[in-house]
Amino acid sequence: MSNGESKGGRALEGVRIIDLTWLQVGPQATRLLATFGAQVIRVEWRERKAIDFIRYTPPFAPDHATADGGRSQGVTRGHANGSYNRAGYFNNTNPGKYGITLNLNHPKGRDLLRRLVRDANVICENFSPGQMDKWGLGYEELRKLNPRIIYIQTTGVGKAGVYKDYVSYGPTAQAFSGLTFLSGLPQPRPPAGWGYSYLDHSPGYFGAIMLMAAIRRQRLSATGCYIDLSQSETGLMLSGTSIIEHQLTGKPTERYGNRMPFLDWSPHGAYRCAGNDNWIAISIQSDEQWRALIEEIGSPAWALDARFASAAGRKQHEDDLDAKLTSFTTGCERYDLMNRLQARGIPAGVVQKASDRFDRDPQLKARGYYVDLPHSEIGTWPIEGFPAKLSRSPANVGGPTGRAAPKLGEDNEFVFGKLVGLSAAEMAALSDEGVI
Amino acid sequence: MLLAGLGAEVIKLEPREGSPSRGIGPFASTAPDKEQSIFFWRYNLNKKSAVLDVDDPDAQPTLAALASKADIVLLSGEFETVERRLPLWCKLAEENPRLIVCTITPFGLDGPYRALKATDLVQMALGGIMAVCGYDPDKDGAYDTPPIAPAMWHSYHLGGEYAAVAMMAAINFRELSGEGQFIDVSVHEAVNTCTEVAIPSYVYAGQVVMRQTARHAAPSVTHARLTVSADGVFMLASLSPFEREQRAVAELADQVGIGHVLGTPEFAQLEKEDRVAAAIYRQDLLEEIIASLPADEIFKRAQAVGLAWSPIRRPEDNLDDPHFAARGSFATIRHPELGRDLRYPSTVASDGHAPHFSYTRRAPRLGEHTDEVLKRAAIR
Repeated sequence: MSNGESKGGRALEGVRIIDLTWLQVGPQATRLLATFGAQVIRVEWRERKAIDFIRYTPPFAPDHATADGGRSQGVTRGHANGSYNRAGYFNNTNPGKYGITLNLNHPKGRDLLRRLVRDANVICENFSPGQMDKWGLGYEELRKLNPRIIYIQTTGVGKAGVYKDYVSYGPTAQAFSGLTFLSGLPQPRPPAGWGYSYLDHSPGYFGAIMLMAAIRRQRLSATGCYIDLSQSETGLMLSGTSIIEHQLTGKPTERYGNRMPFLDWSPHGAYRCAGNDNWIAISIQSDEQWRALIEEIGSPAWALDARFASAAGRKQHEDDLDAKLTSFTTGCERYDLMNRLQARGIPAGVVQKASDRFDRDPQLKARGYYVDLPHSEIGTWPIEGFPAKLSRSPANVGGPTGRAAPKLGEDNEFVFGKLVGLSAAEMAALSDEGVI
Repeated sequence: MLLAGLGAEVIKLEPREGSPSRGIGPFASTAPDKEQSIFFWRYNLNKKSAVLDVDDPDAQPTLAALASKADIVLLSGEFETVERRLPLWCKLAEENPRLIVCTITPFGLDGPYRALKATDLVQMALGGIMAVCGYDPDKDGAYDTPPIAPAMWHSYHLGGEYAAVAMMAAINFRELSGEGQFIDVSVHEAVNTCTEVAIPSYVYAGQVVMRQTARHAAPSVTHARLTVSADGVFMLASLSPFEREQRAVAELADQVGIGHVLGTPEFAQLEKEDRVAAAIYRQDLLEEIIASLPADEIFKRAQAVGLAWSPIRRPEDNLDDPHFAARGSFATIRHPELGRDLRYPSTVASDGHAPHFSYTRRAPRLGEHTDEVLKRAAIR
């Protein structure tokens, strides 16, 4: 659609981000900025208690993986082997970033950070509340050095507010905000919650949106800002209609499993298929789709039951309907059933496990979702991609480095030498002093 | 709605019968009514609504006028609908090279699944979130409960968030180059990005993670269980082998008068010799402490000793929480037709004084701004 004069480029060309974040929620935001071309410099330190937990959390690359190898050499369960550079999840979370080591407990370390901040667009952190102020590196201090700096801090509940000193991780924020409660089968079953830390991911997406809005304003008006991003507040934003409905009805929110209480859709759920823990999601939106389903499964007597002829009837007898539909699906191969139903225009999809999504999913393959990227110690591995195609400033999870995650301190020379302008002798001295 | 909250003017073009999202419940009325959909209200704050049939050839000059002054055109829905409408917008983008055209479809505009039918449930299934959410298997590792799609439309949340990320990237690119562009968002891929260790566990170690009740899916079943407070509220609480946490729990146990061996040489020995037995001991102690007090009391006391425990609240329990009140997490929105205000969760961040997102207007009634929008289009 473009006139073709330019070859396109990077949306965040020339943007430098000092990234003090760790674990998941902060690195998620900076991952997206690197994807659009920002120069993200991850600041870490070598002491065990300061090392990002996910640098030493499994899964690890297989023990035989080297810089020249990678997944093509085969997969076996690996170990850390005394290295902080072999963790697969860290590699998937931090592609496209530069990595430096810097001791912020050392006054010279803090001075170097201030030098980095002077020429940066953004600084990100997710320390416990108050840590940066203790170091004299809080927003008010840093904006004196660089008035256009954008400072973003991500915490479980937010830095402002009554609970500002509370400790919280993604799962805590999920429980607190109501997202854990909302997920699962109706009471008396307990909540099923989330099988991972959803609120270590979504706030990262929101963080990226806000940072890109702030970067645009910074480009236009040279102003900075402070962003106190809260994981539990993000949870409230994602609690759907529950809070508003409650204000109108006064009734407590209840769980509804995989069913659809907001539309006359039924059957609507996950149904067991042949094999070990195999399931298919089926979502019938109309009587027409219901009749198409009956025809496809050979019009068994139970399906022609008059109780099931209308959406209202199906809803009313949903337990019975689910049991009868399950008695049919249990004998079916899951992908074959999905294809048969989809061929008749019925929304149906296999409950895909990680192995299905990686080895089989033809859509992800066709769209090039997994991107092979090299890592300097464990070789080339597939990294999860960005879910949209942009025609002029394409997403590129390898970012400006063209690599997966950095090794600990991999880019000290580039950052301290080339960007900060230290000589080799100065860097050697700082390294001896335990600063870099 | 995210861009509207950051200050963009968002005009929703709707067919005469209204956007399909006006038909999604719950409804404020007893029967479904396109002006009473709480779902529509929730996701369309601050926007304007104009009735304009984008499929009607007579509407084309108006659409052209709107596109000539717009920054972004966003199309979403089923593949067939988006594919049919897209050429018109691409043509208009040639006349306004700064225009950004963004589509959100279930699977993206190309690939073998592009025309498959999907709902939120189907997207959560194919995208991989369902397989990692649900309940514990039995002791033999077999599941008698289905995988669960967490409620409240998260596949569309994810698709919308990534669309906003991509649109903000395109806006930034336009500041550098003066060029608009075309964006193709796939909800399927958006859901796929959000399953944490599931893909790395398989890619690096060949392990498929197992879903477990209200905790992380993992290659094997972990020991923690949900606990219940004295007043019957489920609590999210865990006790890891980290020394700091053990000390904090010991302090809590002492406070409520429950005897324990944490911190003794005997327990250190047990941890060394039988990690599973030590984990079970910790879990039993945790359950005993939590059963001894009401949820809010445990929450306060646990936080006071630095433990990241929380009651599993209903979303609405936060409406009167002083923390969110202090942050301005809820916007009070006037609904003149109801004769009352409703409070909407309306931000994810504060600038230290006020929320970064600002919502002041309820979702528009169908065609509420048609005259205003048509007049502006006529002026060109």
